[in-house]
This record gives sequence, C-alpha cells and structure tokens, in this order.
Amino acid sequence: MTTHSDDTTDTTTVEYAPEEPARLDWAKHAPEVYKAMVRLEIAARQGLDHKLYELVKIRASQINHCAFCIDMHTKDTLAAGESVERILQLSAWDESRHFYTAKELAALELTEAVTVLTDGFVPDEVYENAAKHFEEAELAQLIAAITTINAWNRFGVTCRMTPGHYQPGQYK
Amino acid sequence: MTARTRALDPAVGRALSALSATAKKGLGDPALAELVVIRASQLNHCAFCLDMHLAIAREHGVSEKQLDLLAAWEEAGDVFDERERAALALTEAVTVLTDGFVPDEVFEQAAKHFDEARLAHLIGLAVAINNWNRVMVSRRIPPGGHTP
Repeated sequence: MTTHSDDTTDTTTVEYAPEEPARLDWAKHAPEVYKAMVRLEIAARQGLDHKLYELVKIRASQINHCAFCIDMHTKDTLAAGESVERILQLSAWDESRHFYTAKELAALELTEAVTVLTDGFVPDEVYENAAKHFEEAELAQLIAAITTINAWNRFGVTCRMTPGHYQPGQYK
Repeated sequence: MTARTRALDPAVGRALSALSATAKKGLGDPALAELVVIRASQLNHCAFCLDMHLAIAREHGVSEKQLDLLAAWEEAGDVFDERERAALALTEAVTVLTDGFVPDEVFEQAAKHFDEARLAHLIGLAVAINNWNRVMVSRRIPPGGHTP
C-alpha cells in the first residue's frame, strides 16, 4: 500500500487507484545481471558532480517514463539538498534555463540526445557543446551515467517496478 | 569517419561486458540473442554494433534469410517462429521506451514463451545492447571493430 505523506492535515479519505505489483522481479531471476548493473552504476558515477548526476538521472527517467526511477532519484536529490524548484522545472529545462548552470544545461541536452536515440543520432552541436564544458574523461563518465540510467529505466519500465516505497539512500 | 572520442573508463567497459555476457548466458540461446541485439541496434542506428553482431550472428549460424528480413520481421511470415517473434516484439518495446510503455500484450506474449529466469535475462540482454548502442553512437565509434 502506498502511503501519501503529503496529506497529513487532510482527514478526508481519498480513493487512489489500486497499486499494481511488479510484472517480474528481474533481479531475483537474473542475479548476475543485477550484480553487473550495480558494478556499472558504481563505475559510471565516478568523477561526476553529485547534483549534476541526479539531474541527469531524473531527466532521463522522465523521458523514459520510469516511475520507479523518478521516485528514487527525486527523493535522493531532495535528501541531498537540491532545491524543489530545480527538480520541478526539470521537465521544462529548456524554458527555464536560468535555474541551471551552463554546464548542467549542456549535460541535460546531451542526456536527451543520448536517450532519444531512435529518432536520430546525437547531433554534433549537442556533443560539441558538452565537450566544451566537460573534459574528455569527465565527458566519457557523463555518457556512461546517461546510458546507465537508461538501462535502469528499461528494467524499471519493462518489469513495471512499483514506485512509492523508496527511502532516500536505500541502496547506497 | 573518425570517432568523436574513444574515451571509456575501463571499469565501465568491464561492467558493460559483464552485463551483456551474463544476460546472454542466462538466455541460453546464442542465435536468438544475436537477433535481439541486431534488432535493437537497427532501431538505435548503431553502425558499430550492427557490423559486430551481424558477424557474430553468422558465426552462430543465423540464416542469411533471417538477417535480411530482421528489419521487417513482423511482415516476414514464417521466417521467424512464435518464440523469436515474441522476443523481437519485447526487444522493440524495451528499446523504443520514449514513445510509450511496454504493452501488456507484448510482455504477456514473451512470458508465454520464456520462463521467468529466461525472460529476466532476455530483458537484461535488450537493456545491455541498448546501453552499448548509446555508448557507441554518442562517441560515434566507426564500424569495423570486431574480428571474428
């Protein structure tokens, strides 16, 4: 049962749609694959600014519609002191650029291009702008971080992992 | 054509290789694994991955007919059997995530042909190749890196 902690002052009962169980506990059925994912996650985040990394995670999860991942990463970044405003504006970041640094904007633009791969390639101007703000090794880590959250998103959506139960720092 | 960069942290590369290898092993069907990997690479336009996995598919004995018709597998009649079609439909849904979710009928059809362990590994394989596709396309790694 999902708990909704935002309505503690409201005593009326609101009927939410029922929570659905996950389709498949993939980590239980493919434990070696899960271990490789955890290794990938640990390797991909090395050397990246934590706030930037969480913005990338949330934006990719929005585009891929991964409810479980959005639940996890919004909670983690809030717990780490990120502003509510910067999280809420993220789905319209291109229209709210003054909430983000030039480096974060370059990373978000690259995140979208790498995530929406089926519509085309990663445009030169997007790559070059990212390369202006990130030196080569850091850019490689950024690409790795983007592809890794895309991987988690695909597990989350395909197996319909249930959002709402994540506690900040649960898997750290 | 030259690569934009070849930089990739070795630990990231090793973890990605482990992801692919464990998923492929758990699926237990090397020929089907290549069909899955090639179809995702077609959708993600990864030249490096197509070049590499078409060569591997031939090593595994996947027929030229299947490789020729993979991009239109839905219209290819009995070139692909029901199990292969279920795996390919799931691969496409897992790959084209930005257009929607993974439909129930696609997931259920796959669950009919693969038990939970094989299904988890099939999903893992589709995820792994999507990850490689992104790593290669982003850095614009030219095709030709695989020697059979």
